[in-house]
Amino acid sequence: MAFQFEPAVVIETIPMLMRGLKLTLQITVGGIFFGFLLGSGVGLLKISRNFFIRKLAGIYIESIRGTPMLVQAMFLYYGLPMAIGIRISPITAGIIIIAVNSGAYIAEIVRGAVQSINPGQMEAGRSIGLTHTQTMLYIIWPQALKRMIPPLGNQFIISLKDTSLLMVIGVGELMRTGQEITAVNFRAFEVYMAVALVYLVMTISISRAMIFFENRLNTNKG
Amino acid sequence: MIQIEDLHKNFGSLEVIKGVDLHVKTGEVVCIIGPSGSGKSTVLRCINRLEEPTSGRIIVDGHDIMDKATNINTVRAEAGMVFQQFNLFPHMTVLENVALGPRKVRSMAKKESRTSALSLLKKVGLVDKANAYPEQLSGGQKQRVAIARALALQPKVILFDEPTSALDPELVGEVLEVMKQLAREGMTMVVVTHEMGFAREVADRVIFIDQGKIQEQGPPDQFFTNPKNDRLKEFLGMVISHL
Repeated sequence: MAFQFEPAVVIETIPMLMRGLKLTLQITVGGIFFGFLLGSGVGLLKISRNFFIRKLAGIYIESIRGTPMLVQAMFLYYGLPMAIGIRISPITAGIIIIAVNSGAYIAEIVRGAVQSINPGQMEAGRSIGLTHTQTMLYIIWPQALKRMIPPLGNQFIISLKDTSLLMVIGVGELMRTGQEITAVNFRAFEVYMAVALVYLVMTISISRAMIFFENRLNTNKG
Repeated sequence: MIQIEDLHKNFGSLEVIKGVDLHVKTGEVVCIIGPSGSGKSTVLRCINRLEEPTSGRIIVDGHDIMDKATNINTVRAEAGMVFQQFNLFPHMTVLENVALGPRKVRSMAKKESRTSALSLLKKVGLVDKANAYPEQLSGGQKQRVAIARALALQPKVILFDEPTSALDPELVGEVLEVMKQLAREGMTMVVVTHEMGFAREVADRVIFIDQGKIQEQGPPDQFFTNPKNDRLKEFLGMVISHL
């Protein structure tokens, strides 16, 4: 029997994906939030004056960027509990993995943006008597943040898509929900098309939001 | 006000400052001239330790800046600096640029810091630009804001690092005018500059630095009309034939 594309199945599938979508969004938002905090911290440590702190930050970044997220997920969810005996829920594990993973990339984004600010800005801040920390906070960081927006948008999109890998540790996110649906109706073509469409709508929304933020910061100067 | 004794500064193996002694009295205007790469900006930047001296002693307003016990931030607030490239904070309005220091360093209330910033902007003739952003200003205006920013901390001395070198020629005058006014008001100033006219008119003392050392110094009349050092003669000859 020849394959016949049924658009109606795509339409019917989308509402069924909403439960998974909710989880995907929760994990993405949580993961990116903590990933940004982690990445900002590590990014600043990477330019610390202390050699060992710099090295430590470098080791974290290299080891996360140098290993597949799929391996990291399996290691954290299946491997670590065997070693230290703590079980965490798949959702918590998912948020941790996205945070730790995106944190490494965000650290490099933060480092690059901070270092791209003219050293004269730090000198000017110090010359009026601000401490290093105050200058960072009031002078360097606001300017660096603006330069981070395009690469951060990129990273947010990557992290959102990466949540699909979490199906391997049993997180019932969007991708896994799609897989479960195909297991029942065997309409892989239509179901995965619907899944892809949902991802696409989300990633396009993120890039639009980023353009909006960037323009807003431009008109407000800074 | 400032005492520099036997200042040395190396960048790696390159010795840039080879023993400079310089005393600046309260209310004195000292201009430092010299060829590029002579180390004159480095001397200036050592005074507020933007550049870490390799050895020597620097006392600013009674504080030994090489002493670990000295809070360098306090000293910096007493020794304002104006940069060649202005270094205004681009994400803040002109008013915020000027008010930031007093608010964060002197813990001044927001309203009070704004009022005093406005009066400083009035002084440099830019009160109408208070809510503009630096990128909307000309170079001369930016530099006048930078002077107001330095003044906002009510420093005891202001260090000028080639304040007019990045300006279009027609904008130099307005900045020099503000600096002359400060000199008349009795502000202690150390000015690294290529503006010989300014040095001649305003300075109490002119210093020629070359090859990391003070080669000659004296009151401007004597310094410009009767230079003794051969390198200074050569330098003045080049600068003046250029004019």
